[in-house]
Amino acid sequence: MPRTAPPLLPPFSRPPSRVAIRRVTSYQSDLSTLLYETVSEFALPVRGRTVLLKPNFVGSDPLGMMNTHPALIAASRETFLRLGAERVLIADGPAMDRDTRAIIESVHLREYVGPLSRVFVDLNIDDVERTVLRTRASRLRELYLPKTLLAADFVVSLPKLKTHHWAGVTLSLKNMFGAVPGGCYGWPKNILHWAGIDRAILDINAAIRPNFAIVDGIIGMEGNGPIQGTLKRCGTVICGDDPVAVDATCARVMGLRPDKIKHISRAATLLGHMQAEKIQQIGDTIDQTCNPFAVLEAFQYLRQKPAARPPNVN
Amino acid sequence: MNDNRIPEDESASAFVYQECLPYLRQSQNLDGGWGFLAGKDSRVEPTAWATLALSEHCQGNEIQDALSKAIGFFQNSQLADGSWAASPSQLRGSWVTSLACWALLASGTETENLTAGLRWLQEDRPGDSGRWWRMLRRLATNQNISRQSDSYYGWSWTPGTASWVEPTSYALLVLRSLPEAALSIEMQSRIRIAKQMLYDRMCPGGGWNCGNPMVYGVAGEPQVTPTAFALLALLESSSRSEIEESLNWLKKNSVTVASPTSNALTDIVLHVFGRQVATPAHALSHNRAQDDISWSIPEAGWVALSLSSKQRWLNLKCSSVRL
Repeated sequence: MPRTAPPLLPPFSRPPSRVAIRRVTSYQSDLSTLLYETVSEFALPVRGRTVLLKPNFVGSDPLGMMNTHPALIAASRETFLRLGAERVLIADGPAMDRDTRAIIESVHLREYVGPLSRVFVDLNIDDVERTVLRTRASRLRELYLPKTLLAADFVVSLPKLKTHHWAGVTLSLKNMFGAVPGGCYGWPKNILHWAGIDRAILDINAAIRPNFAIVDGIIGMEGNGPIQGTLKRCGTVICGDDPVAVDATCARVMGLRPDKIKHISRAATLLGHMQAEKIQQIGDTIDQTCNPFAVLEAFQYLRQKPAARPPNVN
Repeated sequence: MNDNRIPEDESASAFVYQECLPYLRQSQNLDGGWGFLAGKDSRVEPTAWATLALSEHCQGNEIQDALSKAIGFFQNSQLADGSWAASPSQLRGSWVTSLACWALLASGTETENLTAGLRWLQEDRPGDSGRWWRMLRRLATNQNISRQSDSYYGWSWTPGTASWVEPTSYALLVLRSLPEAALSIEMQSRIRIAKQMLYDRMCPGGGWNCGNPMVYGVAGEPQVTPTAFALLALLESSSRSEIEESLNWLKKNSVTVASPTSNALTDIVLHVFGRQVATPAHALSHNRAQDDISWSIPEAGWVALSLSSKQRWLNLKCSSVRL
């Protein structure tokens, strides 16, 4: 039976959100233990359920800065299985290249996850179901969405920590663009751009309502992301049960102001919390992990103002 | 076209007739269509690729029977305006109209369905072809994000959105079947503009991605699928340096990719441009035997097409339609 999407609530009527920041030095770290311990703190209702992990697969990525790293995907899968999930699927619909197989081969997903036949779903070519959108932020009104995604009990957005040359950043909310099937809308899914990226992000997330987000910030991308930027070592994994709060926290870790990022501030009206005082931080703090990302000239306005320096006493 | 499949002929033929075609026939749905994967809902795009593959290797009553059912699917799924939609319940036509027309033509079905589909393609204009849109682009503050000429346009994925490499290539490939005398001056001009758009969108150094050759001054990386279809759409211009550069990229890239789609599309292009193919049939067969993921229907179709020594699907002629 398909899951029931949580209600759309304005910020004043929702409880505070929790976001965990964990420092991780590399993909060779014990990600499974770290994620299991972290995710367990959220007491997620996944026992006996089908969990769908939605990573961000973009293209060939020899430096490991573009796609969600398969080590984190495998650790997430193991975590949800240990938490009692009956089935954990990995599913994505890459936006720019229809040869999904070439992408998953290039990231060596099989080497981390094992045989893919019953585990991986290409959302671009899945059967689809007409979905009337719950919000009317863009002019989309309806989308045909993958049946596997709609039938999953629990959806986890698993993006990479990256800047984006149109949206400012691409994190757990923007990652859900990959749920819109290329088989219906093409490669790229240009209808979403014409509808307005920031507005379409709200509409898609309001329709799908990802239940949890785990952001791969161990290595990210800065500058001209999401494809042509430069490698950024950030050494963090950020996760939580409110994707808006997770993205707002990621932005702060990147040295950016979430309230200036249109799709985050728009999503905060109905989907989750953006204000720091409404987000309970678990694990490491933003101050401990803040590692400012370079942004394109057009996005300089997203930068947090540098903290006032103490007067020079000399 | 060099027949450089000859040394491989026996293993290619065995793989096509013993594996690819039976897989396609067995995956056909009762309504005559194919899903993207075996057992999934029928969709126009996979049905088109399966039809093209079966038509290319049409031998025997079983394949003929499968093709008749596929034609029935196209007839039943065509929208009133002549287009086809990407999924059965969608109410607006899209890029798959080019593929449906191509498949009907390959199966020898020059009926009013084909005429209506081609007329829709003639009328369908992308969102970036209008003067209003171009004026807004000139006024936009972020127009330097991507380097491309606003003078050129082709076809879009979905109605009212921008022109992209693949849908433009599909439209050009099916329109190539019409003799020039069957095309109005306006249509001939539109085809020229669409070809210019493809050259304009080529990545620096050769090859194509979906249609963003340069973003914020950084060169885009080419990808196999758009490169293959753009090259096929520009087959008549094989002497141009852009084609040579793109073929070189495709050949060089072929040693690093490992997917049935990329292998098959690369080989189709190398074959029709008279180059030595990159992936021999026995390697494709071996890869399929080792594969833990079922081939999609388009993948199986492209592999079957790549192993044809004739490549008739790229040289179809339509005699009954005037645009």
